[in-house]
Amino acid sequence: MSIEVVEVPPSGASPREHRRWQDDWALSWHGVRTVARLELRQRVRSTRWKIALLVWFVVVGGITMLVTGVFSDEWFGDERAMGRTVFGLVVFFVLFLGLLVAPTLSASAINGDRAAGTLATLQATLLTPAEIVVGKLLAAWAAALAFLAASVPFLVFALLTGELSVAPLLSMLAVLTLVLGVVCAIGLAFSAVASKASGSAVLTYLAVAGLSVMTAILFGLTAPLVTQMEEIRVWETVGQGEWEEGQPPACEWSTHEQPVWHSERTWWLLAANPFVIVADAQPLPDEDQLWMTEDPLSAIQLGVRTARSGPTYEQDWCGYGEYYDADGNLVPYESPVQEPEPSEAEVWPWGLGLYLLFGAGSVVVAVRRLRIPTRSLPRGTRVA
Amino acid sequence: MARTTPANHYGLAMTSDGGGISARGVRRAFGAVQAVADVDLVARPGRVTALVGPNGSGKTTLLLILAGLLTPDAGHVRVAGYDPAIRGREARARTGWMPDVFGTWDSLTAREVLTTVAAAHRMSRSDGAARAAELLDLVHLGDLADQPAHVLSRGQKQRLGLARALVHDPQVLLLDEPASGLDPRSRVDLRVLVRRLAAQGKTILVSSHVLTELDEMADDAVFLSGGRTIESRSVAGAAAERRRWRLTALDPTGLSAWLEQAGMPVVEIDPATEDDAQPGVIVELDDDTAAAALLRDAVTAGVPVVSLAPAGGVLEQAYLSLELAKGEERR
Repeated sequence: MSIEVVEVPPSGASPREHRRWQDDWALSWHGVRTVARLELRQRVRSTRWKIALLVWFVVVGGITMLVTGVFSDEWFGDERAMGRTVFGLVVFFVLFLGLLVAPTLSASAINGDRAAGTLATLQATLLTPAEIVVGKLLAAWAAALAFLAASVPFLVFALLTGELSVAPLLSMLAVLTLVLGVVCAIGLAFSAVASKASGSAVLTYLAVAGLSVMTAILFGLTAPLVTQMEEIRVWETVGQGEWEEGQPPACEWSTHEQPVWHSERTWWLLAANPFVIVADAQPLPDEDQLWMTEDPLSAIQLGVRTARSGPTYEQDWCGYGEYYDADGNLVPYESPVQEPEPSEAEVWPWGLGLYLLFGAGSVVVAVRRLRIPTRSLPRGTRVA
Repeated sequence: MARTTPANHYGLAMTSDGGGISARGVRRAFGAVQAVADVDLVARPGRVTALVGPNGSGKTTLLLILAGLLTPDAGHVRVAGYDPAIRGREARARTGWMPDVFGTWDSLTAREVLTTVAAAHRMSRSDGAARAAELLDLVHLGDLADQPAHVLSRGQKQRLGLARALVHDPQVLLLDEPASGLDPRSRVDLRVLVRRLAAQGKTILVSSHVLTELDEMADDAVFLSGGRTIESRSVAGAAAERRRWRLTALDPTGLSAWLEQAGMPVVEIDPATEDDAQPGVIVELDDDTAAAALLRDAVTAGVPVVSLAPAGGVLEQAYLSLELAKGEERR
């Protein structure tokens, strides 16, 4: 107990008196937990939330059944291929729905509280802005994960049908978890910036649409910009062969000038796509099965890896496959041109890294907007 | 939690003595609107200070600045010895703020609201639970403690808000319109509670429109108008001041005649009792002694006096006279 007697300098005049960064950025588990518990408590008590979870379970279950029914065994002639396809489709569907649900979980977390007059109540306590933001983020994230957990039974079902190992399921879940967390963080930042909850929801949806759709569109639109005329070596037929006599046309190398798409310069656009990140977060199929996979995850993975490795400067225009020679023997075709190799370099770490930057940036934006005392108020809002 | 003791030497309240509120030359604009133009205010530990002013005079903005939620554009602010804009944490640890309109977490119970705020003030769970129970009893919400907050009436929410401001046992209390929505019983409770907190050495700043309410609990008053401090005064000193008294008698005509004869000009007939059988007349008297003398003389002279009392509270009179002065200024 002491009585401090300090001369009062004019505000801000003394170099000793300035704000401390800890007052805004310090994080304690106690503080974060207090905010997260408050948020979750309110969420759990709303019936809307229970209905949403139930609807989610029914919809994901319905889609799984539908996909399983449509792609019956005859379609693939192979139960494993079917299982893989169902697994891939369900993963994509869960991601798609997750991207729709996650923004609603966080996009009104801050401006909604502002409108209800409860934000200032928290700010006026000893909680730091960072604790309020992280607590709200954790609560929204946990809610998003509840939706993810509700889809796990169907993912496991697909996994069992496809006789897949557990590894892809775990990696998918890990990536989905992180992606949904980042979307929640983006929603939180918008809800700190926009004054109305509807505004921040729209902005978050635009951001999600931008990442999921615009990246793919941009990748397509930039194709002409990274396409140039270049010379390539082509293995092509010369003259006509005598097929009846078992003589295929001869092939030889020639040089052609033609447009070459340098997708290795724009593949990173695809890396920012959540569907690509999820699809790529699994090991590449074995080389002998590389071009035989039909499930959507592997197809997208192969596409983006091939885009990353860029154009090949040797092409086989000759390839006619196996044929029977004059004696009726089957002659295999041997191409001197190498098959295009998908890049071994993984794409998903770039995408995930970018997302984690987005997430961290969003948290920083939200914390800065929650610092008190505030200099400016969002238009049309009161502090209290 | 270590706290500095509220120092009771008032001279130190202007500087940083770990207690009280002082604001000098505080300004704050929202765009083109100068909400607070120039406010000087001192609220001392152990006293209740009333913040009085018409709607839009900057009371709420000033309280937000003192609570550390808004930055002032200029001026010096010290709350419990700390500048809320720079040492917000220290100031907030010692400040209880009860906003004028506040939302509450509707799905939480009254008890959970208080334990949440306690946790947000870094209190341990058991301390928070004990404090919540204590405060719920204090504001008579014990039987509604486990009801969700949205079933509470406006007055009950207001009491919950007061309890919320008290959770961390702050040295400084900022109460923005605490009496609005309260029933008479709760108003009395509020007054008793505020006086008790002041007696414990806390600094209390109360804004209200209900001036008679403030009259009964405030020691000092600060008048705001158009975002400026127009007067700071002590309420207790009013007994020794010239003010208006209302006088009624069974025979109003006789009363008026006697007053004229005694050289006590009637200022006006009290507009509120104009149509009554015994309209009150308003006279201005120098102090309480003058009032006692008037009553004695009237009774001696055989005027059937029924009542003699100050016309309106001290604050109301002071407020109205300031309004009047402002009106004249305008003209």
